[in-house]
Amino acid sequence: MRRIVSYMMFVCLLASMIGSSTLTFAASDIKVGIIDTYSGPPSSYGLDVLDGFKLALNKINANGGVLGKKITFVTRDDKFKVDLGLTEAKELIMRENVNLLLGTINSAVSLAVSDLAKKEKIPFIVTYGKSSNITGSKGHKFVFSMNENTEMIGKAAAIGLAKRPFVKYWIAGDDYEYGHAIADAVWNHLKKIKPDVKLVGQSWWKVGEPDFTPYITSILSAKPDAVIVATGGAGCIPFLKAAKNTGFNRKVAIYMHTATELSTLRPLGLDAPQGVIGTANYYFYYPETPENKVFVEEFKKAYSRYPSFGSLIGWYTANFIAKAYEKAGKVDPEKFADALSGMTIDSPIGKLTVRQFDNQLMLPMFMGVTKKVPGYDFLIATDIVTIPAEEIMPSIEDIKKARSQD
Amino acid sequence: MPPDGLSRLKWFTLGMAVLIVLALCPQFLPRFFTYLLALILITGLMATSLNVALGFGGMYQFHHAVFYGVGAYSVSLMLIKTNLPIALCFFTAPFASAVLALVMGFICVRLSKLYFGMLQLSLGSLVWVVVYRWYSFTGGDDGLHGVPIPSLISSVSGSFYFTLIVSVVSLGLMYVILNSPFGQILQAIRDNPERSETIGVHVRAHQLVTQVIAGFFAGVAGVLFVTVEGSAFPDLMSWTLSLEFLIMCLLGGWFTFLGPMLGAAIIVSLRTMVGVYTEYWTTVLAIILMLLIFFLPEGVIGYLEGFFKRPDVSTEEDR
Amino acid sequence: MDFSTTITFNGLIQQFIVGLSRTTILFIVSSGLSLVLGVLRIPNVAHGSLYMLGAFLCYSVATLFGNSPIGFWFAILLAPIGVAIISLATERGLFCHLYDREHLMLLLFTFALMLIFHDAVKLIWGSEYRSLTPPVIFQGSLPILGMPFPKYNLFLLSIGPIVAVGLWFLTQRTKIGKIARAAAVDRDMVGAVGINVSWVFASVFVIGCFLAGLGGALVAPTQNITQGMDHTIIMEAFLIVIIGGLGNVWGALLGALIFGLTDSMGIMILPQFSIVFPYAAVVIVLIFRPKGLLRATW
Repeated sequence: MRRIVSYMMFVCLLASMIGSSTLTFAASDIKVGIIDTYSGPPSSYGLDVLDGFKLALNKINANGGVLGKKITFVTRDDKFKVDLGLTEAKELIMRENVNLLLGTINSAVSLAVSDLAKKEKIPFIVTYGKSSNITGSKGHKFVFSMNENTEMIGKAAAIGLAKRPFVKYWIAGDDYEYGHAIADAVWNHLKKIKPDVKLVGQSWWKVGEPDFTPYITSILSAKPDAVIVATGGAGCIPFLKAAKNTGFNRKVAIYMHTATELSTLRPLGLDAPQGVIGTANYYFYYPETPENKVFVEEFKKAYSRYPSFGSLIGWYTANFIAKAYEKAGKVDPEKFADALSGMTIDSPIGKLTVRQFDNQLMLPMFMGVTKKVPGYDFLIATDIVTIPAEEIMPSIEDIKKARSQD
Repeated sequence: MPPDGLSRLKWFTLGMAVLIVLALCPQFLPRFFTYLLALILITGLMATSLNVALGFGGMYQFHHAVFYGVGAYSVSLMLIKTNLPIALCFFTAPFASAVLALVMGFICVRLSKLYFGMLQLSLGSLVWVVVYRWYSFTGGDDGLHGVPIPSLISSVSGSFYFTLIVSVVSLGLMYVILNSPFGQILQAIRDNPERSETIGVHVRAHQLVTQVIAGFFAGVAGVLFVTVEGSAFPDLMSWTLSLEFLIMCLLGGWFTFLGPMLGAAIIVSLRTMVGVYTEYWTTVLAIILMLLIFFLPEGVIGYLEGFFKRPDVSTEEDR
Repeated sequence: MDFSTTITFNGLIQQFIVGLSRTTILFIVSSGLSLVLGVLRIPNVAHGSLYMLGAFLCYSVATLFGNSPIGFWFAILLAPIGVAIISLATERGLFCHLYDREHLMLLLFTFALMLIFHDAVKLIWGSEYRSLTPPVIFQGSLPILGMPFPKYNLFLLSIGPIVAVGLWFLTQRTKIGKIARAAAVDRDMVGAVGINVSWVFASVFVIGCFLAGLGGALVAPTQNITQGMDHTIIMEAFLIVIIGGLGNVWGALLGALIFGLTDSMGIMILPQFSIVFPYAAVVIVLIFRPKGLLRATW
């Protein structure tokens, strides 16, 4: 028995080695390698991006592809781990010979792969990583960001919050890079716009904190006017839930980035607290443009659910890729990077431009307030204010300064 | 374990042949497989260093990855934040791991077996929390990327040769240590700590030294990791990674010297190759692990050894 | 950044009570872990996965009943039973052949189980976030000392003592508990007097896993139910079991109290560094009492 098992194992190993090295793909395709998190809590975002990407890609390929070639893609699951993501990126570049890389929600993986992309001269388009370092201090010719970053969130939040009457603030958030980056960005910009704001205190909880009640009760006893909550992805839902259960939202104003996003509100159903201020880059019900309606219809038809911001990212990323290859005229990494930098396309949320200086996509931000509205079995954002992209882009001087320090 | 003259020659020739084949690999293998080989060597070195404490020292080293991560972080931080000569950075980083191993070992060796492992696990988690939280210094959960390493040793084939040389030297050193009188005493302690104590062996001191040795070579592996990947991040010291290294030792054979290396080769290739086809490669790993525990508790090499010669190793009976 | 935190007496009391309700979940989960560790000597890394499974099962059952109050109670009851059945199958099918193996092997075996459970949950429930609404009577909050206190946490607070007393009764007053305690000290002896140790072990394992499932089911309405909720709890549960004394159920209670209260008090007193408090408490305990606060069973 033992003998059989060990033989079996060796055979499996050998087969997998040989099998994988003989795989070849049609050389005429443009091949995109996607690294993203498809297991664990962040995977719902990655899957949204992927679905949006597929939707746009199918259309592009049905219309004959780009430069007479079809765009194909392969995916790898990084399981939110940097070492895995790095190995997979190398595998995609060196073995699968992909033409460009796409990914990922984990900022650490994004930064690591970005460094690799720089060395290997392969374009890398970040889809959901939100660290401002990606296109900021660590930016380079081959890295692009299709998502809003922490700096942009901070500026948008500060502009929106400064218009409200709050003076005493409390900052609370996930105790990791993203939480602190958002909190710092919001606070620094808010202080600049409205110098009389006061910080009463801060609390930081570990990522994946299951129970927010102790934090909420301790914040309440300090009686701030408003709380800036800097949680990412998974933390938003339990926080809002605890906020509702403790009546937190009725005592203090809450601002939370992504609080009004579909990915946050949908799982909560009607359990979400009302009156929470949130920023987001996209709602399927806003802006009410014909382009958006068409996109929502197509997405719903294909996947029978509403598109989230992630789906939109996937959708316009695919369109950017197609248009950039068309402009480049051939499949060449340098030409592609040059073409994509500074490019503008139409999208459901208006014209979108990749800023030439840092390859950061210029995205408008929408600030809204959560509300129960008949017709939906979850809360949606109302009183939406648009903050234009020009006002929230990180300043070029700051980036230059940060890059020269490194 | 000491082989007689003839087989020693045989082993030496075999070893040299393997080395020559490995050294020629970058010339005919595709780039990705050269990289994968380097990764296997590093992981294997790491697993072997774990096995010094685990298989030969009999200590339940549950959180060995901490030393790996500290080695990687030390070299990255020195290269990024200081202007010290590169060679010095590479050389001193493993000592940081060794010092941590000394401190943690000092607290842990008072205990044995499961208690030892659990205490090490909690101390290791504390180190992890510090690294994860200290944004201004360690880069927090984003980690450190783009560590400046000269292209001579950071290109795919360059890093492979560097890894090959360093890991062969390290393996050689560990082999010598384990076959020295010190190593013999260590194995005697593993097999029977009480008896060793009564014949006048200072058990705790020996275990502490073993901790430092294991920590040092884990640090070497960490430095090599940075050379190959150019990054350091908190995942390198997560407890799940530690368990993966334990699995490698177990898979290859944790009472043999080269077992962990084989285990690392199997797991790293599996992870990379099965990961291409399915997101569920962890289930494949889990099933292999279960089969292993049921049918091959001595690991692949342990099994093959028992298969080729009569299982008459004396330590086997003592256990 | 400038800030000043004012700590009031009422606030401290409030924080203390909130910490206690947190402790309840930690205690329920880690007492199960401790039981399995003490009697069977299995360091069950998959314990956290069973907790996660409990939460997911609770969600599914409650949704099956259309989120009605009755459905909720059914879910709280059925989810741990489901977990218990799964654990019985694993024990009878796998673990019972491995009791004479080294702890290390058992640890890695449970790690393999953890990987499988993780993938299974992903396969069955997908990757979407899930959220469960508690029944109407537990929604909202009651004012305690002028502060809102969630009703559901009060419910949790009342469950804790029930579980503790139940465990005490089980281990001290029932026959199986007595046998299990004896088996923890000397399993060969128990076997020698003609008791079927195998089934005693199976029932202890099932009870331990039931507690993990119960913890998961109870926690389900307060947080989002995702893959990955196993990772945080298992680390915390292990630390609690270690500081309490391996295998000692009362130690688990003490450990959970230390862990939960340092956590919630840390949040009040030094909110910026609260993440470090429980870990620091663990290290301090272990430096002075390396084998845990209370006597371990073995």
